[in-house]
Amino acid sequence: MPVAVELPSLGESVVEGTVSRWLVKEGDHVEIDQPLVEVTTDKVDAEIPAPVAGLIQKILVPEGQTVAVGAPLVMIEADAGSKAPSKPAAAPAAAPAAAQPRGAEAPTPATPLARRLAEEAKVDLRKVTGTGAAGRVTKQDVEQAASGRSRPAAEPASPPAAGRPAYLGYSLQEGDRVVPMTPLRRLVAEHMVLSKRVSPHVGTVAEIDMSGVSRVRDAHKRGFEQDHGFGLSFLPFIVHATVRALREFPRLNASVLEDAIVEKKDIHIGIAVETEKGLVVPVARHADRLSLAGLAQAVEDLANRARTKKLSADELKGGSFTISNPGRFGNLYGFAIINQPQVGILRMGEIVKRPVVRTLEGEDAIVIRPIMHLALSYDHRAVDGAPANGFLHRIRELLEEAEFDL
Amino acid sequence: MPAPLQIEWLGRIGWREALEAQRKRVEARRADAGPDSLLLLEHPPVITLGRSADPAHLLESRAALAARGIEVQEAARGGSATYHGPGQLVGYLIVDLAARGVPDVHRFLRGIESDLIAAIEELGVAARALPGLTGVFADAPGTPRKLASIGVGLRGWVSFHGFALNVSLDPTAFAPIVPCGLAGIEIGSLARELGAGAGEDLDSRARAAVAAAFAARWDAP
Repeated sequence: MPVAVELPSLGESVVEGTVSRWLVKEGDHVEIDQPLVEVTTDKVDAEIPAPVAGLIQKILVPEGQTVAVGAPLVMIEADAGSKAPSKPAAAPAAAPAAAQPRGAEAPTPATPLARRLAEEAKVDLRKVTGTGAAGRVTKQDVEQAASGRSRPAAEPASPPAAGRPAYLGYSLQEGDRVVPMTPLRRLVAEHMVLSKRVSPHVGTVAEIDMSGVSRVRDAHKRGFEQDHGFGLSFLPFIVHATVRALREFPRLNASVLEDAIVEKKDIHIGIAVETEKGLVVPVARHADRLSLAGLAQAVEDLANRARTKKLSADELKGGSFTISNPGRFGNLYGFAIINQPQVGILRMGEIVKRPVVRTLEGEDAIVIRPIMHLALSYDHRAVDGAPANGFLHRIRELLEEAEFDL
Repeated sequence: MPAPLQIEWLGRIGWREALEAQRKRVEARRADAGPDSLLLLEHPPVITLGRSADPAHLLESRAALAARGIEVQEAARGGSATYHGPGQLVGYLIVDLAARGVPDVHRFLRGIESDLIAAIEELGVAARALPGLTGVFADAPGTPRKLASIGVGLRGWVSFHGFALNVSLDPTAFAPIVPCGLAGIEIGSLARELGAGAGEDLDSRARAAVAAAFAARWDAP
């Protein structure tokens, strides 16, 4: 009989895990309790043992992929007569002890004696915190619950709340809608707080005339779309100019260590992409080795796969500088929060036709030009104002000169 | 209830050797043939790289490190790069979380943090956890200074690995790596927090305080 091995619940607040390494392959025969796969969550590596002896039929989740608790990882064709051992240590798939009220379909693990007692004393097992092996409700737990001494299961000591200052508290008012944070939202939130805490942000803005880039783009638009199957946006031009400027200002392509600043050899550009699920920052690796067309392709591919959730974990790591393009409208300019452990981030404003002063044939004149505000946030631990402005000014020059090869 | 936590001081032992000692105990614990234990020890200088370690986190070549007597080892654990060496108290926890009735890795991590905070405060240093960052930090203004790192492995519900508390170790020993992949925090030590008040016997007092804090929690009925 085929048995699905699921990602066990590793704790109340653990909602997903990443398959880091398979220790078996399809066709292998495994013994009960033999480690099958290593799964990583925040700071924890867990080995999931086989619940039965049998043949590995199909591995359902590849290495590097993150899945939710309960997702099937592998199918095992169980040997005749093999059944799951009752030893709790071997079966982390059992429900966590710190019980949230469980759904009706998932029976609360309890000893038979506890079950009988609960029935007699009319104690709802789902509301009892199990202290037995693998979180099973014991006779003692039921007795305590019956005498009202048990902590109500609905309010276990919730670790994430601990240590949070009281002034952040808010008491719910009628009509409020409570939207629980998704794991991604929580990660983003924690990262933003961390970044603002460790890094003194300074902002500076440049006003950039995009006429030259617009001309290049218009000239190649049709041919590019025919050759590549997608439209040429402004973003690859910004990335290209940024990469060139980073090579001249390596201090912006850096990380701060305790007593040192590391200027990185490689340039990997993170592109902030807003998806249905939230903000993700896939990384165009070795962006300095790519042509403009290559960058366009990389950016398009990463953004598409970010939206269809097909990025691997590695593609979200290792950026050395980030560019954020938060959308066209209602966005003159704004300062992004630095993506740690980097030291700078650019944020694109909308491109709008504006009257500007130009000298034409020796005369000052007001002309209409497509203007973009480009805002740089930089970490003042690593970078001072003059080089930061120099860097931003260089990007402006490169974009206004618009010497791009397509 | 399970038997109390057995706490042992193994002295200075190599990283591989300690891994083997853990492996044996994990197997014994899983077979119900061994106790829950806390192994306290110290490693000779070694840099370990976790599964998510970026090669960029190692800032010197292996040859250069070897010349200075620092080993580099790949560890089958989550997390990034870290350094162990003399003056750092390492604690490996081999505990059956299911048998303890708390099969919850996050509660386990938070428990280790709070035990370490208790021990560190016993030694006269204010310490805290930072939400979102596993580990223990000095409770002082300015850039967070990390006093203890935490990283745990699980085989079934039996834990291994644990924590590393910087006692008298010189934080500059971390210079060859980006610790735990985190730029923007500093590595601290108890000796540095205490300054002149550290005293000669800080290492042995730290050992005693950590043992007492863990015994208090894990032995409680």
